[in-house]
Amino acid sequence: MDTQPQKELVTGETWYQPGDKIPNVGMKLFALRNQCTECNVCEVACSLVHSPDGEINPQLSRVRIDHAPEKPTKINQEGLGFVAEICHHCGNPPPCAEVCPTDAFYYDPKTLAAVIDQDNCIQCMECVPGCPFDVVFVAPSGELLKCDLCGGDPVCVKACSTRPEMLNKGKQYNRMPVLFYEEQSDFNQISREEPVARDEVGMMQAMLEAGKISSGA
Amino acid sequence: MESNLLRVNLTTGEIKNEIIGHEVFERWVGGSGVNNWIMWDHFLTHDINCDPRSPDNIFVFGVGPLAGSGAGSGVKGRITFKSPCYDMFGDSAGGGKFPYMIRFTGYEYLAITGRAPKPVYLHICNDEVSLHDASHLWGKDTKDTHAMLQKELGEYPSKTHTLSIGQAGENQVGIAGVVSDALRIHARCGGGAVLGSKNLKAIAVQGSGSIKVSRPESLMKWSDKFRQSLDANEAVYGFKRRGTLGAVEMYQHIGSHFWRNGQGNMFRGGEITSDNWVKRFHRYSEVCSSDCFIACDAKYKIDGEESKAAKNYIGESFRRPEYLTTGSAAGALDVRDWAEVAHWGKLTNDYGIDNQDLSCSISFLMELKQRELISDDDVANLFGHSQSLEWGNMNDIERLVEDIVFQSNTFGKLFGDGPYKGALRYSEMMGQNFMKYAMYGKGGASFTEEMRPFPTWMNNMAVASRGADHLKGLGLIEKFQRRDLSQAYFGGSEAADLSIPDYKGASTAIIENQVALLNSYGVCMFHWMLDPAGYMPESYYGDAYRSITGVEHDSEQLMRDGERICNLEKAFNSRIGMRREHDTICERWMWEPTDEGMYPGKVAADMFETVLDEYYQWRGWDVKSGLQTRSKLEELDLNDVADVLESDRALARD
Amino acid sequence: MITVRTEYHSHFKEITGLPGDTFELDQPLVSELAKQLTEKYGDKMSALLMDPDTNQLNANGTMYVDSKGRRVFIEDTLEDGETIAFLVGIAGG
Repeated sequence: MDTQPQKELVTGETWYQPGDKIPNVGMKLFALRNQCTECNVCEVACSLVHSPDGEINPQLSRVRIDHAPEKPTKINQEGLGFVAEICHHCGNPPPCAEVCPTDAFYYDPKTLAAVIDQDNCIQCMECVPGCPFDVVFVAPSGELLKCDLCGGDPVCVKACSTRPEMLNKGKQYNRMPVLFYEEQSDFNQISREEPVARDEVGMMQAMLEAGKISSGA
Repeated sequence: MESNLLRVNLTTGEIKNEIIGHEVFERWVGGSGVNNWIMWDHFLTHDINCDPRSPDNIFVFGVGPLAGSGAGSGVKGRITFKSPCYDMFGDSAGGGKFPYMIRFTGYEYLAITGRAPKPVYLHICNDEVSLHDASHLWGKDTKDTHAMLQKELGEYPSKTHTLSIGQAGENQVGIAGVVSDALRIHARCGGGAVLGSKNLKAIAVQGSGSIKVSRPESLMKWSDKFRQSLDANEAVYGFKRRGTLGAVEMYQHIGSHFWRNGQGNMFRGGEITSDNWVKRFHRYSEVCSSDCFIACDAKYKIDGEESKAAKNYIGESFRRPEYLTTGSAAGALDVRDWAEVAHWGKLTNDYGIDNQDLSCSISFLMELKQRELISDDDVANLFGHSQSLEWGNMNDIERLVEDIVFQSNTFGKLFGDGPYKGALRYSEMMGQNFMKYAMYGKGGASFTEEMRPFPTWMNNMAVASRGADHLKGLGLIEKFQRRDLSQAYFGGSEAADLSIPDYKGASTAIIENQVALLNSYGVCMFHWMLDPAGYMPESYYGDAYRSITGVEHDSEQLMRDGERICNLEKAFNSRIGMRREHDTICERWMWEPTDEGMYPGKVAADMFETVLDEYYQWRGWDVKSGLQTRSKLEELDLNDVADVLESDRALARD
Repeated sequence: MITVRTEYHSHFKEITGLPGDTFELDQPLVSELAKQLTEKYGDKMSALLMDPDTNQLNANGTMYVDSKGRRVFIEDTLEDGETIAFLVGIAGG
């Protein structure tokens, strides 16, 4: 399964010189907040697909599940479940790459995702606070972990369980997952769809009322 | 594949690591199978007839290789021990997060023996293992214990996940369970009492290590196919929204519930007979065991308006009741309000106690009162105060639960091991025979579903290795009348025909082998049940198992492995003295006809012995005694087990 | 021509919005009933009721019984005046 970025193309060569205009990532990840079940399958899949040794370890994942920030609403006093913390693939060059002192960031030729080349990375960890979304992670070994979109076929999206709540009328999702790999405009369209076949007061309603459906980017 | 077994002797404080080599997985698959082998081995050097609450008993925890390996089929930890309530082989599964996190410590199997001098908890932080004073946790329920340990141990090097007992386990109540992360309970057989008797309040794990997969490409390919197949089944979406609560309306329709101690098989009270309530209660979060692609649970908050009794529980947070939570509350106890059913679920999880035996202990007495077989004075003697023993009275039921959990009166002490032992003891105390009102199967274990129209399920209740249980020999072919599966398994439709005994024992025998594999893989059963491709777990999960472990067994070998695992469980029980006469069920199921539902006039007696004969035949065991033969055990490479059984005079002649 | 009644529960009832229907079938066959159900209730019913790979009734997580409590399959015949209940269910837990 060809989900790794083409390493031979990114190692040892800088695709873009400092000051070059780099195109932005086209399709990127989005997460429906508060749909997440904390199943951890995305973390497991992400770590496995990036491991040369067949290792599974959520601490090696580039997507992390966490409790949604607590935000009392008139309906719910306890916060709304879980959230998938995903890389937002900010406009290129992203803040994480901009603070890098050693030019360890390259751009995947297919997706234009910024990728950390571990051979050049000196593990200074400037990119960690440099990320405005706290989604550059540090592995137990000290290695810096950033989402690379799996070369254009993100495994976390494939691993994500579709939820029964929303039917997306007309597009490619019979049922909605939590994680999406879409163009921004398409995702906006998807997330504006009214939930169908649910008249349940609760999470979906609270989410819509509170305007919590967003890409976060 | 290799793994680590952590041995903890609580008497001496000795902690040591043992490698479990590839050859063990070749023989025992993983999870449940390996647990059984560890316990079997233990009782070769310890008295198998020991009191299960003594330091000589062992508490084994194991998690199978597919759990958390990206299969997406959930995680199930397995606990294995000698049961304090049934005095036989005991085991129980539980999901949550604990079985997932423990794998990242490198320890996948725990064997705990002895007894700590005072309450302790075990902390496993990667390869650092230590015992700590738990006096500040003792007396706390499982929810608080989990929260306190998470706070105490923090989130470095990883989040903390726990396995703990509540007050029921602390008080060594025989039907106490063990709770994973305050999310999921290993309820059956009394594992909580075993830990309580060892003064082990909790096990807390933090792990930042890795699990190694033998052939990752192959596994990822399997996982993709698995997820797509499940996603293609529309019924999965209904299951995601309802969990096992989806069974309520089906069982109401066919008459498969267990109402008022099994006197009827349909719920009463309009609201409780449908799952529409899922819309009315406020759901605020999904809940999921780790590595599960389905996520069948959710958390709800009671606002107060949702049902008549909801105002008593305003602000309470509960998880969606699953079927047996409902079967025990709305069924056995005739509780007719969903808020109260949810509250019952919360109580039993927080206290850490099995809801099946608990409800049937209470409903037994309620029936005696209903039939005026006991007087108000008798009741006052039993409880030390008056007790209404009214069907469905949740206030009183809660007091009864506390009586058992805290062992606070004669009732609590008599019924702490479930309804069978409770009924025996109470009958003796009163000088009367009340046994016909006790609901139980093998070992004295209870189960809150109607059995009489379903010969395979009836057989399961009589033969399951851990006491009456529907899961070990799960009778899907019969209850769902799947003549297509009957055809696939047996070449004819008989196994799916409720009206005849044919292939019912055979069904149990084959499916027990398959379920043993599922329990050894470490997966949840629902994916298998819901996926049209899934009905043969040896082939369904075969590729995933081989890719993860490197144990290159084909389907046929895997089925033999499953059979081997079942035979070891049987051998354990044979050593204790169990024979055919112990493969039995309660009088009501055996002799009292159903008088409602779609299958009236049914008794188990019509087919019971015939089905039992067939079960032993398919198992290759002696029909008269129920014992195994040397030739069957040799066929499964269990010569060593045959030797032990022979010296215990628990082997049938060939 | 026969008349059969249907009764819907749980997930099926969510799709139909009704507790039940009456159908007139040219042929006394479950397959005919299934065809009319999917025609009346569309894709959602089709997705839950039918297995697209085999054209059988979806068998996993669902249950269909006649008034005597016998499960029906796509190849079965139906009697005039029969009621078929559409249920969901799973065992265990």
